[in-house]
Amino acid sequence: MNRTHPLGAWLAAIPPLPDRSEELRLSQLQNLELGAARPLIVGFSLVFLLLVLWLVRRRSLREEYTPIWLLAALSAFIVAVFESLLVALARAIGAWTLSSALFFFAEVFLIMICLHFAVRMSKLTLEVKNLAQEVALLKAEREQQATAAPRKRSA
Amino acid sequence: LDRHQTLIVVPAFNEADHLVAVLAELAELAPGWPVLVVDDGSTDATPAVAREHGAEVVQHPFNLGYGAALQTGYKLARRRGVRFLVQMDADGQHQAEQISRLMAPLQDDELDLAVGNRFFLGSEYRAGALQDTGRWLLRATARLFGLHLSDPTSGFQAMNRAVIELYCGDFFPVDYPDLDVLVFARRHGLRIGERPTPMRAGPRASLLHHGFRPLYYFYRMFLALNAAAATPLGRPPRSPDR
Repeated sequence: MNRTHPLGAWLAAIPPLPDRSEELRLSQLQNLELGAARPLIVGFSLVFLLLVLWLVRRRSLREEYTPIWLLAALSAFIVAVFESLLVALARAIGAWTLSSALFFFAEVFLIMICLHFAVRMSKLTLEVKNLAQEVALLKAEREQQATAAPRKRSA
Repeated sequence: LDRHQTLIVVPAFNEADHLVAVLAELAELAPGWPVLVVDDGSTDATPAVAREHGAEVVQHPFNLGYGAALQTGYKLARRRGVRFLVQMDADGQHQAEQISRLMAPLQDDELDLAVGNRFFLGSEYRAGALQDTGRWLLRATARLFGLHLSDPTSGFQAMNRAVIELYCGDFFPVDYPDLDVLVFARRHGLRIGERPTPMRAGPRASLLHHGFRPLYYFYRMFLALNAAAATPLGRPPRSPDR
């Protein structure tokens, strides 16, 4: 005996909606443009570039850390100016909109930089530990010499 | 025997209260043995108490962790060219009278590293159910790596120069050196075994086993074991010729 729930039967009676997602995707892809975001990105990347240079000038940021940030600002600037480049990138990763393509690349960049800093911090932690141990040992050695020296003289 | 070639290392962090008894016991049962207290940035009277009781003191400029304190001891032992090293905790858990038991297999050149075992047959040392489960898991894991130890987390250990040399390496964890370190040592061809050493229930015996600590503990252990297993099997590190 196969009893179907009345609600199930009712739902099954509804004709399925035509799947228009492909149509939607194509229409989005036809009209890929940054629009108002374009001058915003250009302005932001320029301000960011200047900020990095300013931080280096007042020695808050070491030169060795700047290339990656300058590169990020520069790439934002380039894709905003040459929009067709961003469109190509968006198509390549299968993004429907340019903003999601931008978010995608920004996120990848942030994850990589976080990992990079975690690695650097691990190394620094190890170096600090080794240094602290060295200081402790040298201090103890000096104290020992200081207490041993007078004894030697008297002997 | 060669007490001048042996260094007793006691890492201590804010242990002024317990350290007095530990050092007094050492002075009584192991008279004349050099004792090194590694003060891990204590804010209490630990270094003063240690000096008062005749121990040599090395002071970390700030708190680095239990493992780092141990390693400072190894590094000092290496500089001095000490042949053997005994490490024991400052909380009074380990008994000085057991040192000779741990040292015997080293002096007979049977082992490179002897671990004091709290849980031998007939031991009066009791741990909680959670600890027992954890220890069972650890024991099984140790066996996977070819280590037959029933108490691989014991901090009461005696080692020779080859182990000291190895433990001075950067792999040595700053927080809690554990089974992973023993696996690392074994993969370097060092002989590891254990000896029964009765212990008093330490006042901090269950510190590791509260809240999320056990979870994190096993997580970290997994990662550390993974790293230890990645080291190729090799010969023991050559100790510097003296």
